[in-house]
Amino acid sequence: MMDFSQIIPALPALTDGMLLTLRLLGLSVVGGVVLGTLLALARLSDRRVLSGLAKFYVNYFRSIPLLLVISWFYLVVPLIYNWLTGSFEPVGAFTSCLVAFVMFEAAYYAEIVRAGIQAIPKGQVNAAYALGMGYGQAMRLIVLPQAFRKMTPLFLQQSIILFQDTSLVYAVGLLDFLNTARSKGDIVGLPHEFLIFAGAVYFVISFGATLLVKRLQKRFAV
Amino acid sequence: MTAMIQLSNVSKWYGDFQVLTDCTTQVAKGEVVVVCGPSGSGKSTLIKCVNALEPFQKGTILVDGVSVGDPKTDLPKLRSRVGMVFQHFELFPHLSITDNLTIAQMKVLGRSREEANDKGLKYLDRVGLKAHAAKFPGQLSGGQQQRVAIARALAMDPIAMLFDEPTSALDPEMINEVLDVMTGLAHEGMTMMCVTHEMGFARRVADRVIFMDRGHIVEDCAKEEFFGAPRGERAQQFLSKILQH
Amino acid sequence: MNYHWDWGVFFKSTGIGHEIYLDWFITGLGWTVAVAMVAWVIALILGSVLGVMRTLPNKTLSGVAGGYVALFRNVPLLVQLFLWYFLVPDFLPESLQVWFKQDLKPATSAYISVVVCLGLFTAARVCEQVRTGIEALPKGQSNAAYAMGFTLPQVYRHVLLPQAFRIIIPPMTSEFLNVFKNSSVASLIGLMELLAQTKQTAEFSANLFEAFTLATVIYFVLNMSLMKLMGWVENRVRVPGLIGSTGK
Repeated sequence: MMDFSQIIPALPALTDGMLLTLRLLGLSVVGGVVLGTLLALARLSDRRVLSGLAKFYVNYFRSIPLLLVISWFYLVVPLIYNWLTGSFEPVGAFTSCLVAFVMFEAAYYAEIVRAGIQAIPKGQVNAAYALGMGYGQAMRLIVLPQAFRKMTPLFLQQSIILFQDTSLVYAVGLLDFLNTARSKGDIVGLPHEFLIFAGAVYFVISFGATLLVKRLQKRFAV
Repeated sequence: MTAMIQLSNVSKWYGDFQVLTDCTTQVAKGEVVVVCGPSGSGKSTLIKCVNALEPFQKGTILVDGVSVGDPKTDLPKLRSRVGMVFQHFELFPHLSITDNLTIAQMKVLGRSREEANDKGLKYLDRVGLKAHAAKFPGQLSGGQQQRVAIARALAMDPIAMLFDEPTSALDPEMINEVLDVMTGLAHEGMTMMCVTHEMGFARRVADRVIFMDRGHIVEDCAKEEFFGAPRGERAQQFLSKILQH
Repeated sequence: MNYHWDWGVFFKSTGIGHEIYLDWFITGLGWTVAVAMVAWVIALILGSVLGVMRTLPNKTLSGVAGGYVALFRNVPLLVQLFLWYFLVPDFLPESLQVWFKQDLKPATSAYISVVVCLGLFTAARVCEQVRTGIEALPKGQSNAAYAMGFTLPQVYRHVLLPQAFRIIIPPMTSEFLNVFKNSSVASLIGLMELLAQTKQTAEFSANLFEAFTLATVIYFVLNMSLMKLMGWVENRVRVPGLIGSTGK
């Protein structure tokens, strides 16, 4: 009853879709971790205004749905771009989605980084200060390298979730892996087969990655 | 004397590692037996085999004539007749002291709430803690919790009591309050099997002492003989270490 | 570029019947709550059963629950929703198919799909929380319960679950909040919940900043209120003398 043979001619398009998914994922992880780390440092800062702002940012993005952010930014980012640059050049769905993912995921990465930094004993910072380091050096050379090592499994887990969440760009019509599979399936009249195939591919990648993370965790733990 | 607890050639393995080898002994009705030995000697495992908290692969254990290892045996029923006291008390932290005392009476023995309450409070009074009935375990000291745990076991009207290192998690000043309760119990004729390092208690209360080492029962004799007569090298070493402090 | 700010837009007529835009938001919030609450009940019941199965000595039962978790956690929510909405109905018996596709209002069939989808998706996450809670309890607790003659169901019912559920209230709170946030995927199969109404308002009125601002405020307030509610629950079931953890 099911006919999966029609997937083969669609493989080049599906591969392009997957490449877009992975590009979005990679850039979002990098951007999210960088912004998230800055947010975590701001959150832990002694300056009340700074830490208050960071706290608000994190709470704000953690209490609204990702899909809302994607839809909003899709409409809003071009407007803001236009305000800032005066140019009417279209921004494109990819860029607006990327901005949405980076800003949204940063809130989640920030919480991971904050917990990681707080798990480093205060004595480490004191020892760095005692050696004559400043705040920036102590963070960059002593605290963050230790924190990041501990946080790696959590980062990876969050990134696996993000990998699955990239499928939400369907909402703005970006041709990622899922959307490519949907449209190809509709064109050849086999939507079920393509949908099952898409689900299976997502499953294999994220389940495989989960197993890998578990193995890494074990190795790190010893 | 009839044996209340009878162990014959009990052996147990964790995978390839043998934790118990050919353990044979018995506890007669009304007898108090202390089991001692260095850590890792298998004494806790042995006592947990008696009420089937630990399965064993060879040999037989009879409790009041009922075979523990027989798959046809109704384990909940057998366990409800044998009281057990644990190293870390294991009161249920989400239940009040009263509920800790009554829950098994009601759910396992099918007693009414009133009957369970009366019985529970009677034993709580016996261990001197009646005033704490409405509290929760986390609000009591370790010694108090352990006394409640003994009352909880007694409320089930057990035919025998198993003690698994009941004082080793306690601060020194609380050990005696628990040992006093146990001593009282022994004098009333309760059948008791106690894993403990408290040699003073063994000397005062025990009828027999079992010494275990590396899964074997090495000594199994009357108290007087154990503390008086010459014995094996391992037991001597153990005793000299224990008695030093 | 000129953007015409108008915060009064929510009280303006939508041009459809007598409705003002605010009515749309209220309807949307209603659907969001209706989806999330029913999905949560499903997730809580099924997830607890699966979580218990995961901790049982029986290899088959724990394997089944483990497989369930692996499957439902590694396929994106949106893919699962499409499967439930587009694919599963085609595999129903003839009479059910007619009922689902023709007799039901489109909103109702979308609602059923999303509730089932979100309930089963969240159950996998609840399962892991319940399992973690049970495994966090000291082994001595179940030993003590068995030693008093409890049967396996009694050990779970009276000793393990009451403690495990108390421990996992904080992570369960965030799963509970996630259900509300995740319910927004329903907008992608045409259910007019909060996000869908927001988009519609943005398109109809051209006041997209105002529309999305109101939506985020509603989600934000909803989130805060639910957190307060769960904080209250946590306080209600708190056991004296026990702060956060169990044990000695």
